[in-house]
Amino acid sequence: MIKITELEKFYRTEEVETIALNKLSMHVDTGEFVAIMGPSGCGKSTLLNILGMLDDPDEGSYVFNGIEVAHFNERKRADLRKHNIGFVFQSFNLIDELTVFENVELPLIYTGVSASERVKRVEEVLDKMQIMHRRNHYPQQLSGGQQQRVAIARAVVNKPKLILADEPTGNLDSSNGNDVMELLTDLNEQGTTIIMVTHSEHDARYSHRIIRLLDGQTVMENIMV
Amino acid sequence: MFKNYLKITWRNLLKNKSFTIINIAGLAVGMASAALILFWVQNEASYDQFHEKKDRLYQMYNRSKIEGEIWAWGNTPKPMMAALKQNYPQVEQAARILRANFLFTIGDKHLTLPGSFTDPDFLTMFSFPLIHGNPKTALNDMKSIVLTEKTAIKLFGNTNALGKTVKIDSVDYFTVSGVMKDLPNNTRFGFEYLMTWKYWEKTNGGVDKNWGNNSVATYVVLRPGVTETYFDKQVKNITRSQSEVKDIDVFAHPASKWRLYSKFENGQIVGGRITTIKLFSIIAVFILLIACINFMNLSTARSEKRAKEVGIRKVVGAGKGSLIAQFMGESVMIALLAGIVALIIVYIFLPPFNTLTEKQLFIPFASPVFWLIVVTFILFTGVLSGSYPALYLSSFAPVKVLKGTFKAANAVFSPRKILVVTQFTFAIVLIISTIIVREQLDYAQNRDVGYKKNNLAYTFMQGNIEKNYQLIRNELLTSGAASAVTKTSAPMTEGWSDSWGFSWQGKDPNTKIDFNMFNVDGDFSKTMNLKIIDGRDIDIKNYPSDSSAILINQASLKLMKFKNPIGQTVMNGDRKLTIVGVVKDFILQSPYEPVKQMIIQGPSAWFNVIHYKLNEKNTTAENLKLAEAVFKKYNSEYPFEYHFVDEEYNKKFADEQRVGTLASLFAGLTIFISCLGLFGLATYMAQNRIKEIGVRKVLGASVLGVTTMLSKDFLKLVGIAFLVATPIAWYSMEHWLQTYSYRVNISVWVFAIAAFVTTLLSIVTVSFQAVKAALANPVKSLRSE
Repeated sequence: MIKITELEKFYRTEEVETIALNKLSMHVDTGEFVAIMGPSGCGKSTLLNILGMLDDPDEGSYVFNGIEVAHFNERKRADLRKHNIGFVFQSFNLIDELTVFENVELPLIYTGVSASERVKRVEEVLDKMQIMHRRNHYPQQLSGGQQQRVAIARAVVNKPKLILADEPTGNLDSSNGNDVMELLTDLNEQGTTIIMVTHSEHDARYSHRIIRLLDGQTVMENIMV
Repeated sequence: MFKNYLKITWRNLLKNKSFTIINIAGLAVGMASAALILFWVQNEASYDQFHEKKDRLYQMYNRSKIEGEIWAWGNTPKPMMAALKQNYPQVEQAARILRANFLFTIGDKHLTLPGSFTDPDFLTMFSFPLIHGNPKTALNDMKSIVLTEKTAIKLFGNTNALGKTVKIDSVDYFTVSGVMKDLPNNTRFGFEYLMTWKYWEKTNGGVDKNWGNNSVATYVVLRPGVTETYFDKQVKNITRSQSEVKDIDVFAHPASKWRLYSKFENGQIVGGRITTIKLFSIIAVFILLIACINFMNLSTARSEKRAKEVGIRKVVGAGKGSLIAQFMGESVMIALLAGIVALIIVYIFLPPFNTLTEKQLFIPFASPVFWLIVVTFILFTGVLSGSYPALYLSSFAPVKVLKGTFKAANAVFSPRKILVVTQFTFAIVLIISTIIVREQLDYAQNRDVGYKKNNLAYTFMQGNIEKNYQLIRNELLTSGAASAVTKTSAPMTEGWSDSWGFSWQGKDPNTKIDFNMFNVDGDFSKTMNLKIIDGRDIDIKNYPSDSSAILINQASLKLMKFKNPIGQTVMNGDRKLTIVGVVKDFILQSPYEPVKQMIIQGPSAWFNVIHYKLNEKNTTAENLKLAEAVFKKYNSEYPFEYHFVDEEYNKKFADEQRVGTLASLFAGLTIFISCLGLFGLATYMAQNRIKEIGVRKVLGASVLGVTTMLSKDFLKLVGIAFLVATPIAWYSMEHWLQTYSYRVNISVWVFAIAAFVTTLLSIVTVSFQAVKAALANPVKSLRSE
């Protein structure tokens, strides 16, 4: 599904140039659950952003589903992204002014799904995440665990092929964190590819494979049994 | 998608109430001001553009060289109308217009009303429709009269007045031959009735064949297809070919230019009211722009709050286009709300605005065109104010926003700062202009008129006043109402007559020099408290030869260059006049111009006005009561009407006063809107820097220190605005002052006051938020992170 080759990304300020990704190569197959680990500043977030097409690489190749996307413009990336990728963030990133239902509905609006179909699909996914009873609440009225479930609901409502999760349990206590990891595992078992950035060895154990980064390069890969 | 936008817009508006109120208030005030100005501009631009024949309608003008300069004026000789109709096949219709002022009597009801004499063509040349009567024939019979609806109601109680009789000036009976729809609010004409030219001729000694007396306005409708240029060529020599007057060119001034382009310099149109129209249109655009800038500033200032939403929307699939659409939609919605508020403001403030501008503007609620314009206006405002925030907000990179590394730019030349500078530049220009307009007004009002205006009253000599003048004069004096009385050709505040027919020893026979003319009988200097510099006043009682005596003013003396003016001869054509006195220059016409040369003739001339100095020992009310009794006794048919010279004199400043009031009004509004924006910005600044303030306070910063730090940045912007505004204001006001000969010099303190006022207002605006932020408990603000 994903194949990146010699990917490079630099950050420049006036004085210094920082290398975030240094000729990084890797691949992820359809249906995999991959965890990316590494210390702060190792480039894992940058990698995730490029994989999610929120950012573009300076050098190298990124083939997504057989399409070279490294030098796509913003509109093409956005188009590819909204049909194929769902995001889950550490800080949930829900829109405060929208209700649970409306937050989850948002991706469907941007992909042009009809209103009746939207209701059906949002209700379906809210049901699955067990937050149907909170559908008319606003994010600030929910607990952290509930908010992250809404965020996951939003990430999957469009039935994406790939879910990118950036420390999804980082803001949660361990019980809520385990719930979230169970949800992700379920999704993976139903066929969704998942790439997750995490600091937590515990969470990483839910994955099939761990890629460890240091200074923008892969230093180790562990295959989980 | 649209519903989703609407929802989030609405929730955002409710959630940020202060932001919403500031935005809507600012935009509404801006829109309302712009709308009021545009109403006014529309009214000005539509003057006399409703006549069906407007494209063929012209006023005849004269052009001639006087004192080395080419002058153009719209008064023509009375016989021109007939000559045009007879000898110029290009002319389809023609009519003269001359003001009239008559006393109307119905039973025991007496009313003096302004009207006009005109020719029969008038009613079919101009589109002033008749409700009753036939416009083709209504002015054919000498004693027929056409009334406006208003006048008909005043006289008869209803508009169904056709065929009824009115008594005019206690001498003649007229039959109403037409009732006209009231004149609209956008015409140059102001008559309340029309009378026939034939009646004027009957009462003024027959057909006037004098081509040397320019006293009527002559209008023509040209045949279809005749161009202005062609007709001008044909008509140029009409006066020369018909009379002995050989130095006058005639031309036609088209209806499309009457209102806005009627200022001539050296015989050519150089503009006119269009200058004011343009000026106020610019002000309207700027006020609206300033209001839009507020919106832009507040929206972008809140960008850190909105950034997260933008990021999330982008991540879940929103393209830049749909985000631009969303933010545009938001601003259009705010503009719509502001538009509704603005409409209410306009509705409430239109009556006082009408009083101020002396107009009768109204909101055309029933007109679809009006609503179309309203919608366009709202969309325009919404799109204008939403454009920058939409582009700015939609360009956020989601990676940065969602990772929390996003910080709104704080560059030296950030667009937001430039916008604030623009706002304040405009506000300061208006403040400086207002002060200078007021100063100029003050300066002119305090100018020495040359005589004493207070307690000086006058009455027009109507009915039997002139016949009984001596009796009235004596009784005004003996009853104690007045301390001095004189009759004159015109009120002291108006120049009704001028002439270039004078010659004297030493005058260059080849130049025309135009003199203001004024006629008085005895006691002129005593009544007016006018200083005689040399010689004496005209006094027919003691000097029987004074029927050919004249007074000249200082300006005339300077021009005539007499060493010993008393006893010198001045010829008026063949008539020999003798100078008996020189009076101090007094202002007859414009208080902004130097006093013009003037010749004051003695008692053999014509008179229209009786001036009387009220007795200073009595109250004004007592004097007027006594005077009324005298006038009633000798002129019983007419109501007693009087004017005060000082009041009439003050009317000379009406235009400048209006400009001054409007300038202060719009300066006030501009500064209000600008400060509103500044307040909003300060609020967000205080919120954004709350953590910084907390840290600084923990480290020992004082409240004053923090307040100063927060206020300083804004004051810098106001300072820059002041530097930009000063040359602009100076240049434009210097330009404006050039139109007055008698004018103030722009002094430095004007700028100092403007700087002080603006600084003070911005300090008050900003420091409110700054102090609040500085006083906040740092523990709270730091914990909230």
